[in-house]
Amino acid sequence: MIDMTVQMGDVNLSTPLLTGSGTFGYGSEFESLIDYSMLGGIVTKSLSLEPRKGNPPPRICETGYGGILNSIGLANPGVDSFLTEKVPLLPITKTKVYISVVGNSVEDFVEVIHRLEDVKNIAGYELNVSCPNVRVGGLDIGGDKEAVSAIVKEVRQATERFISVKLTPNQPAIAPMAEAAQKSGADALTLTNTLIGMAIDAEKQKPLLGLGTGGYSGPPLKPVALAKVWQASQVVDIPIWASGGMVNGIDCIEFLLAGASALQLGSVLFADPFAPQRVLAEMRNYCERHEVSRISDLIGQLKQI
Amino acid sequence: MNKPVCEMATTISLEKLSTDLWELTLHSPVIAGMYRAGQFVHVRIGDSFQPFLRRPLSIGPPPIGTSSDNGVLRLIFAVKGEGTQLLTNTQVGDKVDLIGPLGQPFQIPSDLAGKHVVLIAGGIGIVPLLTLVKELPKEINRIFLLGVRSKSNLTVSRKEIDYRNIKLSSDDGSIGYRGNVIGLLKEQLKEISNEAILYACGPGVMMSALKEQCMELNIPLYVSLEVSMGCGVGACQSCAVPKADGSGYYLVCADGPVFDAESVELNPETLP
Repeated sequence: MIDMTVQMGDVNLSTPLLTGSGTFGYGSEFESLIDYSMLGGIVTKSLSLEPRKGNPPPRICETGYGGILNSIGLANPGVDSFLTEKVPLLPITKTKVYISVVGNSVEDFVEVIHRLEDVKNIAGYELNVSCPNVRVGGLDIGGDKEAVSAIVKEVRQATERFISVKLTPNQPAIAPMAEAAQKSGADALTLTNTLIGMAIDAEKQKPLLGLGTGGYSGPPLKPVALAKVWQASQVVDIPIWASGGMVNGIDCIEFLLAGASALQLGSVLFADPFAPQRVLAEMRNYCERHEVSRISDLIGQLKQI
Repeated sequence: MNKPVCEMATTISLEKLSTDLWELTLHSPVIAGMYRAGQFVHVRIGDSFQPFLRRPLSIGPPPIGTSSDNGVLRLIFAVKGEGTQLLTNTQVGDKVDLIGPLGQPFQIPSDLAGKHVVLIAGGIGIVPLLTLVKELPKEINRIFLLGVRSKSNLTVSRKEIDYRNIKLSSDDGSIGYRGNVIGLLKEQLKEISNEAILYACGPGVMMSALKEQCMELNIPLYVSLEVSMGCGVGACQSCAVPKADGSGYYLVCADGPVFDAESVELNPETLP
């Protein structure tokens, strides 16, 4: 029997699999299709202080080679409606729940966290400082080290709960940002959000997404995310939640070897809601072949060529 | 309403209806036992993640002469790209991975007596309306209209056209009324003196024009929409359509695909 648990702060996750924010709603939408026991936890759709309508359609398209682009624009009901309408639906009895939080300012992040602190049985938060589809006054928060540090520091003061900081891949070097997040009090990093991308319909001579560009995800993102996980793991000692194009157990093993401690299944859930059990079985099979008794023993075990 | 399931359906047949139209019949007893008219299945294309997303397809009724009791689902699809092209390779006996039934079905008012129910389809939009017609009470007055580009683009068999008493229009006049289906509708409405209620499914241009027409004549209109979709269950919020009052968006997968036309903005630019 292979031990599939991983430790995340005070919390023991029953498996290393989480859902990626934005792909799993608030945890109940897939209810009749998903086996929650296969998941270590879920990360909700990002939540902001005020409601957000989201971006004009079309919001999703395929780009070939297994890639997809989305431009949802952080559509969400806002924290107050979330508390009354969504909290009762959270699958807190079935799995660990992490709430993704987004904001336009440091104050926004802190205020949302304040309002969530009374919600019982929440395992922690993921701070989304990296959505590629939203800009504040033309500024991309995710690329600004000072801004990310300020957000993490202030949120750290506001909660004792576990905080993972989700960073953008849309910057040349991940290491300085990863170090800054750790220094500011992050308990984990989520690597990474989507890459900015674009698709064009040549016949209609128009972009395929309503806003022109969007976030690129799916299997083609995997090498980029692997590089970010590996690079960040060299400079931080907090756990890394990997997110980026994994569709099978071997993909997940690669992320563990690169230094990730938990694995977020995202876009793959659209194609295959059975991905969690399939991926776990494939990971177990790998462990048997390599005589690994605890999945956590693989974390960061990448060998040199 | 029953919760959706994942079901590995078995292919019974795949038939080419016209140049780019195919009819896939599947044995899918769980979904077949649950669906209502207007709902859809989210169909996985192969298992290689290329293409990555599932394809939402309206659930059609079992072929004439069979009943849904024997677990048969009928899907009609047009080849529009890589995914639907791959679906044409399906062989008899092949498994097809479905999630369904998804979405909100057509609402059928209980007070249809004395009213005229008009079903109006553009091209492949006929599929959910074929299912709806089976669910409508038998004794009501109904008119079923289908608009196609030309005789060679019929989206349903001649047998079904006769069986369901479907009136046709074609852009080139090669079959039925010459002109678009809204022209045909106007002709038909002239002969109706009682109240009408419309159910429609078709391309964005048709739905948009139809909404304008119905609002002018004060006729209730229910539309079934198709847009690009991600999860199919309301989680990813990809399949947004603007609310008519500008207050935000509905999700086609979870709030629709059937909408009261007055509540949504039907933009021919962004609807397929």
